[in-house]
Amino acid sequence: MVMLRRKTWRDIKENKGVYLACIVVIVIGLMIYTSMSVVVENMDKAQKDFYSETHFADGFISVTGYPENKVNALTFIPGVDQAEGRIVKDVRIVDQQKDSNRYLRMVSTSMTNSPKINELRLMTGHLPTDNQSEILVDPQFFAANHLSLGDSINVILEGKQATFTVTGTAQSPEFIYIMRTAQDLYPSPEDFGIAYVPLSSLKTLVKEKGQVNDLVVTLKSGVNFDSVKESLQTVLKPYGLQSIVPRKDQTSNAILTSEITNIRSMAKTLPVVFLGVAAIILYTMLRRLIEQQRVAIGTLKAFGFTNQEVVRHYLTYPLLIGTIGGLLGGLSGVALSFPLTTLYKQYFALPGLKSEFSVKYLLVGLFLSLSFSLVSGIRGSLDILRLEPAQAMRPPAPVNASKTSIEKIKWFWQRLSSQAQMGIRDVFRTPTRSIFNVIGIAVVFSLMTVSWSMQNMTNLLTVVQLEQVQTYDVKLSLAHPTATGATKLALTHEVGVSKVEPVLEVPVTLRSSWLKKEVSLMGLSKDSSLYNILDKNGHRIEVPNQGILLSEHLAKTLNVKTGDVINVESPWRREPIGSKGENLLVQGVVPQYVGLNAFMEEKELQRFLRQGEISTSMLVKMDQSEVGRIKSKYRNASNVTSIESLKDTGDKIRKMLDSFGFTTWLLAILGGITGFALIYNSSIISLSERKRELASLRVLGMTPREVLRVITSEQWTLYAFGILLGIPLAYGLEIGMAQAMSNDLYSLPAELPPVALLGAAVGTAFSVLVAQSRAYYKIKSLPYVEILATRD
Amino acid sequence: MDILMTGKGLHKIYRTGEVEIEVLKGIDFQIFQGEFIVVLGQSGSGKTTLLNIIGGMTKASTGELYYKEQPLHSVDEYHLTLYRRNEVGFVFQNYNLMPNLTSYENVRLAVEISQSPLNVQDVLSEVGLEAWSDHFPSQLSGGQQQRVAIARAIVKNPELLLCDEPTGALDIKTGIQVLIALQKLNRQYHKTVIIITHNVEIAKMADRVFYLKDGLLESVKINEQPLSPEEISW
Repeated sequence: MVMLRRKTWRDIKENKGVYLACIVVIVIGLMIYTSMSVVVENMDKAQKDFYSETHFADGFISVTGYPENKVNALTFIPGVDQAEGRIVKDVRIVDQQKDSNRYLRMVSTSMTNSPKINELRLMTGHLPTDNQSEILVDPQFFAANHLSLGDSINVILEGKQATFTVTGTAQSPEFIYIMRTAQDLYPSPEDFGIAYVPLSSLKTLVKEKGQVNDLVVTLKSGVNFDSVKESLQTVLKPYGLQSIVPRKDQTSNAILTSEITNIRSMAKTLPVVFLGVAAIILYTMLRRLIEQQRVAIGTLKAFGFTNQEVVRHYLTYPLLIGTIGGLLGGLSGVALSFPLTTLYKQYFALPGLKSEFSVKYLLVGLFLSLSFSLVSGIRGSLDILRLEPAQAMRPPAPVNASKTSIEKIKWFWQRLSSQAQMGIRDVFRTPTRSIFNVIGIAVVFSLMTVSWSMQNMTNLLTVVQLEQVQTYDVKLSLAHPTATGATKLALTHEVGVSKVEPVLEVPVTLRSSWLKKEVSLMGLSKDSSLYNILDKNGHRIEVPNQGILLSEHLAKTLNVKTGDVINVESPWRREPIGSKGENLLVQGVVPQYVGLNAFMEEKELQRFLRQGEISTSMLVKMDQSEVGRIKSKYRNASNVTSIESLKDTGDKIRKMLDSFGFTTWLLAILGGITGFALIYNSSIISLSERKRELASLRVLGMTPREVLRVITSEQWTLYAFGILLGIPLAYGLEIGMAQAMSNDLYSLPAELPPVALLGAAVGTAFSVLVAQSRAYYKIKSLPYVEILATRD
Repeated sequence: MDILMTGKGLHKIYRTGEVEIEVLKGIDFQIFQGEFIVVLGQSGSGKTTLLNIIGGMTKASTGELYYKEQPLHSVDEYHLTLYRRNEVGFVFQNYNLMPNLTSYENVRLAVEISQSPLNVQDVLSEVGLEAWSDHFPSQLSGGQQQRVAIARAIVKNPELLLCDEPTGALDIKTGIQVLIALQKLNRQYHKTVIIITHNVEIAKMADRVFYLKDGLLESVKINEQPLSPEEISW
């Protein structure tokens, strides 16, 4: 059917704007789908391969000191396959030029008998020699600090200075996403990195000879970590067991896995939204085309073209659009996957993570695009089958000659101009099309609310967390739980210090029936003013004398509410053998946006631990000008692991959120383009359907702007209904997104502030206005005399 | 002459909501092969409906219709389509050309579904439009467009040519050119031509004239000496 193909091509050329808009929406959808799918597949594969090649550990244990010669005995525990003892120490880098705190986590590793767990992959240079002060560092720290092989690094290790030579860079499966503490939120390779030191070298530098403070284990195939955990706890408790973390909760792995899950779910949901809108555009466009070409269809049928031939002809429109959109979307998605992978490589040091041209996703994308196009095409062209040739030759009967329901509201209807009445009447007379457009606008609106609520999240994270929750200036973390008195006293007497509050952060396992979670339990004094627990309205909540407070995300994870009782267990608690923690009453559930904690009154927590008056960090309120001095004074102290200035942390978090900002705006822009395409399509349809009416209005003496009101009143009506439907949709989306994106590092509130709804409404209105401006130019150039001279 | 088509008791009722309109109220007729028939009647008399039924564009509500002794009233949509495809050519008052196909392409469109089509250029020459084959409908006059429509109808080499007010939108001069083309087809190629019109002058060209009134075939008049298009005027 060469001639029909020519007809298709010329039809498309005549209405290229609408078809182009539709292609753009498909391209957006598929670009997101393909790029994210390629990235997620690459990350997933790189993670699995790297874990399996390097024998990534199943369990991570932190102890005060465990005899090195007893490590092998752990493999006698049923289920444990291999065990390795390590010395892990955070050390500060001595830096003459900089005042900033740069740290390395020194992880001992056996260089000669290559360890079977968490094997290192040497990236550059050579392995350090046993008994030599040589180290390998992680490649990101190496690059961020502009190091060269052979460079020396001076560190303070347990109060003493030591110098190490960098012999190469290496990557461990344990440190793919490198953060010093979970509160850091994102890697900062300039300030913190991992150093791999021969065990023989590190042993000589630490006080506890013949002891390791960190253990990693692998399990026999098919063994569940929980079944081994109890035995490990029993064996290790006498050695100052601090934490036992299964692989799934290991920070780097948890973040990487959660990121992969997030991208995967986004790759599945977001494209459906865009392809759905594209399908709406295609459907309405095709319906219009078929109505417009009624006589042509009748003529083709009169000539003897079969229904199938005519339907096939009209299906070539969506199929052509679907193919072009599918190919362009797939190709641009594959192209985008390269920079996206590079972006992820900045955060995740995954060897083997690379993007490759993916024929598979190109084809899947094309298939998706064609499926959506075909379904909308078939739905749109069904009328062809019903149309009898003789009937097609006559102009269609008016859809509905009776008054529409909105006209019954007389006081409203009578206040409208004639143009508005014409426009609004049409909304109600073509209900299917109107419903589809309303759904499309609602989708665009809810996408935009996501953008605005991201801004809200930024506000919560920065303003609430850094200005209302954490009100200290400096946090001094102690190497071990330490008796509170002396440290507090020393700090209180420092110049510029106005208040010191001890904090006790304890690793605990919270259990409610079969659900459990390992978190850090924070003990705060009742009158704490440097760390505030706030309710949803931002009011301060006092820590209860007894019982425990849980963060919302934690309560959800454990499926508990205020008034329930949970079991709290801690490796730090002194308790008789066989005893398993204590049951505590949940006194309240509180919002927490950064971190995942439970809270108790400090004295009550000390009672629970039975270790006397101890603390793990000191919160200090002080004069900003003295912060530098305090840092210099305490950073070399052997019992201080880090001194964190809240201002520096705030700067880091804001920097990270700025990089989020790009994604946020991108989503808003893509939503805006989609909204434009939808409304533009609707304008073109209205224009072509109404060209005689509009031409008559022009002949009557109306200006193009006055005539435009017929179209705009129709669209603003659709817009109003779209927003109304969009509000519950946006809430649904927000809840889903908050649940999907919340993790142990931060939890997003499932709330939509009015400003997000307002911002999205304005954003959607903007795309409507832009589309209408295009319609205005079309009306301006309407050849009204010719239109009125020709038969409909 | 062989009987080409027979209609017996044809009724057509249109239903719009609860309203029923009986457009044809029982029509009987016979059409012979190679005849030139003009159907006359006022607006609303049922002319177009009758033509649509004869052309297989719609079915009668009741009654029987035979084409070359084969029943058309009982065939399914697919076979009705085949009938239109292979046996019938249509010419409409408003030409109904595809606006974005050229004259040549409009005619070629019909060739693509024909079993024994004629040569497109020959047919365009036959209607005097060989020089206009690359022009789009909007670049042609009404008469030229109608001649393209005739070319499109005859290129399939149909047995039956049905014309709905073929000169209705044309001035007398171009109208006569169109009628010349139609008569040529009838006389030279022995195609059966049925024209519906309310122009009584055109009836003078016909072998027989069907008069329709209020959905009934009021009378049939035989022209002993049909005139040529050049001899009529309106």
